[in-house]
Amino acid sequence: MAFTGVGLGLRRPHMEQVAALDAAPVPFWEIAPENVVGQGGTRHRLVMGILERDAVLTHGLSMSMGGFDAWAPEVLDRLVAFLKATGTPWHSEHLCWSSFGGAHTHELLPMPFTREAARHAIARVKALQAKLPVPFLLENISYYAALGQPEMSERDFLLEVLEGADCGWLLDINNVYVNSVNHGFDPKVWLTGMPLHRVAQMHIAGHTWQEAEGVLLDTHGAPVVDPVVDLMAWVLPRIGRPVPVLLERDHEIPDLAVLLAERERLQSAYEGALTGVLHA
Amino acid sequence: MPESRLARLQAAVLDLTLDADGEAFHADPAAWAQTRGLAHADGRALADRRDRWGLYRDLVRTALVEPLGDTFPITQTLLEDASAWPACVDAFLASRTVSSPYYRDVAPAFVAWLADSHWGLERWPFLLQLAHYEAVELEVLRHPDAPRPADLHAEPACERIAVLDPAARNLAYGFAVQVATVEAPEPPAACAWLLCHRDPEGAFRVLELTPHVSALLARSQEGQALGPALAELGADPDEAFTLLRDLRRRGAIQGFRPA
Repeated sequence: MAFTGVGLGLRRPHMEQVAALDAAPVPFWEIAPENVVGQGGTRHRLVMGILERDAVLTHGLSMSMGGFDAWAPEVLDRLVAFLKATGTPWHSEHLCWSSFGGAHTHELLPMPFTREAARHAIARVKALQAKLPVPFLLENISYYAALGQPEMSERDFLLEVLEGADCGWLLDINNVYVNSVNHGFDPKVWLTGMPLHRVAQMHIAGHTWQEAEGVLLDTHGAPVVDPVVDLMAWVLPRIGRPVPVLLERDHEIPDLAVLLAERERLQSAYEGALTGVLHA
Repeated sequence: MPESRLARLQAAVLDLTLDADGEAFHADPAAWAQTRGLAHADGRALADRRDRWGLYRDLVRTALVEPLGDTFPITQTLLEDASAWPACVDAFLASRTVSSPYYRDVAPAFVAWLADSHWGLERWPFLLQLAHYEAVELEVLRHPDAPRPADLHAEPACERIAVLDPAARNLAYGFAVQVATVEAPEPPAACAWLLCHRDPEGAFRVLELTPHVSALLARSQEGQALGPALAELGADPDEAFTLLRDLRRRGAIQGFRPA
């Protein structure tokens, strides 16, 4: 199955409505295994029915790729079984850490931009990749402050980890934009020279301006703004392949019809950006 | 203290976000960083962006507290009415009890923490039982499905045991937690025997049991046949069997099998 076009994150408020449809209203869904595995009941059966019917990509939230805590065997077993069951062509996680000393924060915390941290993340990515039945992608995150004294830029840190781990890249274009505003750089310059050949998927989402801190927050709680759509359209031809783009919405979740309309808007921009590439 | 620079930085951020005293960092970031073994430059970098690390503190705490409000509305109301909810949350977060990578496990971690720490039990002796009861609904609703055993009988008999549905919970409380509401969050001190289960459509249901029926189900779960259990409890088999058939019809009992 070829994954392309703009998909949507499958979210709880829409489950019953989506399950009742005859066919998927999107090219593919994305779902977090952590929110599904090890559960049962009516809602769980609805989700599993959708995943059996429709194309799905998986995206993890809590493996703490830059952390030190070991992955419990049962957590890995459940993840592997889920990836096999869904038939996802790859699995992705964030370049961040979320737990330390056995305490989980359930937040995507930034890595220090240091060589030690890069070596550590590379080793963790390789270790997880070795256990998964599908290729692994690493996602660039939004960060609001560098952790400790940086030895390199966030861009060079990401580059070093992607190359060192030799893994795919889930390019979150909204995170690039949010970071560019919060840390004052040109996102197109940031993207130029990055290993776009590693991009297998993209994320796109909305963000929120946090007045008190004077910062853009990666909330996934608002519609995607035009500059982020433009950035997606700018980078797609440079990637040169119709990689799938996933619209994320995790807060202030509107009706499914509203999200589907937003997806259509993004799909048009996606197709427009790739017209020359696809017909070349 | 962690050996590597990376580990020391992550440990420091955990302190910064989960410790109850969030002011210590902001009051003197350099001294705060020194006590955590951070290099001077790393401590200075944290101090330079103290506003942004305050933001991370809010993000982490919000992520961990949101499931509590969703799962424990009555407990939260009770403690908010007594202006004790922030202190409860602070103590819970500082305990670092949340260890599971599954977000759904935050609420059970809160119950486990109440049980271990005895937080608030002196003032609210029912607190743990109330929180436990509030968490049961999600536990029952989300319990993993399992194939129904093939060897079960539809009818109870003296030599058989009753097999509870794996999602069902046969619970005994010292307080009538099932009558507590957001409007009246303090449950009366009265024993309650509750059977929480999924009905055939998968919805959450609560049945109030007599102590005898609750004991009968508990003995079945321990493997004692219904006949001897009823005899020891001094209960009428016909009456008990009628009730057990009803529980099976409701989905709380899967069926019956030889002891």
